[in-house]
Amino acid sequence: MMAGAFDYFQFVLAPQIVIGLVLGVAVILVALGLTIIFGLLDVINMSHGEFYALGAFISVSLAALGVPFWLLLVLVPALMLPIGYAVERLLIQRVFHSPDRHVTTLLLTFGLALVLEDVFRLIWGPNPLRPETPIRGAIEVAGLFLPLYRVFMIGIGALIIIGTALIVYRTRIGAMVRAAAFDRNMAASLGVPVQLVYAGAFAFGVSLAGLAGVLLAPLYSVFPTMGRDFILMAFTVVIVGGMGSIAGAVVAGLFLTQVQAIASLYISPVWTDPIVFGIMVIMLMVRPQGLFGRLGHA
Amino acid sequence: MRDALTTSMRASHWLAALLVVFALITAAVGAAMNDTFYLRLATEALIFAGLALSVDILLGYTGLLSLGQALYFGLGAYISALTLMQVPSFWLALLVALASGLVLGLVGGFIALRVRGVYFALITFGMAQVIAKVIYNTRALGASDGMTGVPIIDVNLGITSISSASPAGFFLVVLAVTMVLYAIAAYLLDTPFGRLLIAIKANDRRVPFLGYKAPTLRLGSYVLAATIATVSGALYPMLRGFVSPELLFFSTSGNAVITVILGGVGTLVGALYGSILLTVLKSVIGSWTEHHLIIIGLLFMGAVIFFPQGLMGVIRPQVAKWLSYRWLSRGGKP
Repeated sequence: MMAGAFDYFQFVLAPQIVIGLVLGVAVILVALGLTIIFGLLDVINMSHGEFYALGAFISVSLAALGVPFWLLLVLVPALMLPIGYAVERLLIQRVFHSPDRHVTTLLLTFGLALVLEDVFRLIWGPNPLRPETPIRGAIEVAGLFLPLYRVFMIGIGALIIIGTALIVYRTRIGAMVRAAAFDRNMAASLGVPVQLVYAGAFAFGVSLAGLAGVLLAPLYSVFPTMGRDFILMAFTVVIVGGMGSIAGAVVAGLFLTQVQAIASLYISPVWTDPIVFGIMVIMLMVRPQGLFGRLGHA
Repeated sequence: MRDALTTSMRASHWLAALLVVFALITAAVGAAMNDTFYLRLATEALIFAGLALSVDILLGYTGLLSLGQALYFGLGAYISALTLMQVPSFWLALLVALASGLVLGLVGGFIALRVRGVYFALITFGMAQVIAKVIYNTRALGASDGMTGVPIIDVNLGITSISSASPAGFFLVVLAVTMVLYAIAAYLLDTPFGRLLIAIKANDRRVPFLGYKAPTLRLGSYVLAATIATVSGALYPMLRGFVSPELLFFSTSGNAVITVILGGVGTLVGALYGSILLTVLKSVIGSWTEHHLIIIGLLFMGAVIFFPQGLMGVIRPQVAKWLSYRWLSRGGKP
């Protein structure tokens, strides 16, 4: 009886939890950029999923040119920074001061998402691309086989998430970002270059999405609508965790992907999406501010 | 006495009348040329115009951006298809869709209206996503394939009846239903109820001080929008003979938002023109390149930045000016 339960854990439950954990880290990486952009600029970036896809596409193309994976991890986010900066300065800034900024910025980024998705189709074609896994092999931990790349994903993902939180909450730049989110005018009069902070934070968020694209490309296929499929989950994580909260994104990301992983064991996998979105709707009904507070209020 | 809002609504009505004239010419020319493809495309444009109309009631009047209005459109289509498969009656399908629209709108409004702003946009998006996935997974409703085999029906008009298989005939039926939906929306929004919705959009904290309940008004506009979307959705299976879960997906809701922005937010008639504009654009650009989304997307972004009032924002003031001039020259008081 005891052995049966342990076998069940080892061969059924534990692998599913690990799969959920990898997906969780991935979703948090995408949600992190989304939540920083929302917390600071109050902008729902509907094109965030397409920036994630862009990162994946660029990494596939550069890898085909012979650029090693380790270099991509630095190169792609660096390439995404000026793209994000330009998008903020050229597009978001134009409608940032309109009376209903929430709606206009949401619509503008929605339009951008449409354009980007079709541009991907134009450049890279509609069929899924599958890059090679940079780290092969698996290790065995307590009788559990873990593919090395997934272990690496969890590790580097955790590092990036902790690093981002440290930047936001422990550095001078992070303090400026939080000040600008808390009170734009006060921060500006104290000498915080608010415009630069806004564009910089947007670029940082976009670059995080690109990094998630590089990391996830070897696990899931790369195709034009990949951003659209993934962004729903990232939005759910941001809402449940509380828009603009890094800790919230982490907790909600881990929680929701575990719900997804476990639910697909006991109920059919096709029902995990309604469950996760159902949690989001209920959360919005009972506690729209999410589990944790906003970026500028913590 | 006429104020600016009444004048611009009159301008909308003139533009709607112009649209009907154009549609009648289209139907006559189409019937004479024995065309099926373009008439069916125009019919579909009018059906989706109804969905856009419902988005405009929420966005243009009440200031609520719904990213999941396709929920009601798609449910209307499924309800109509199920009804038609049991009893092939046009009026019964429309009536059932209307009644379900009222009930679904009340339920959805009760859930979604607990929050404002971007949260409203996201909760409508989430609700549509949940229901779309449930239908996508339900085998009894055809799952991902949707349901085919919706029978061809005869629309009984008392003196005569029109088959839904007749391209020009069914185009006229859909034109009539869409214009009735427009007329109902325009009438209701021209009453004090409509003015209060505009007041809520402008400043929802002051409205309660005038003695009105903002939540009730908001629910009213939500139910109205949901019902219009459900009824226009009910026409879809009659045209195409099938329904699919895609009707509830985000792309359908997103298209309706694009339609309203391109046509002109808060003008009602802009939703109708926007739907025709978008359909024409898609088929014209689609004949050059398969990447029509790049151009539609750029056009949409351009509209959001440079022409937030859309097509009607450019045209309608001209019509309104002409109407005021006509009114004054007939001895009306300014």
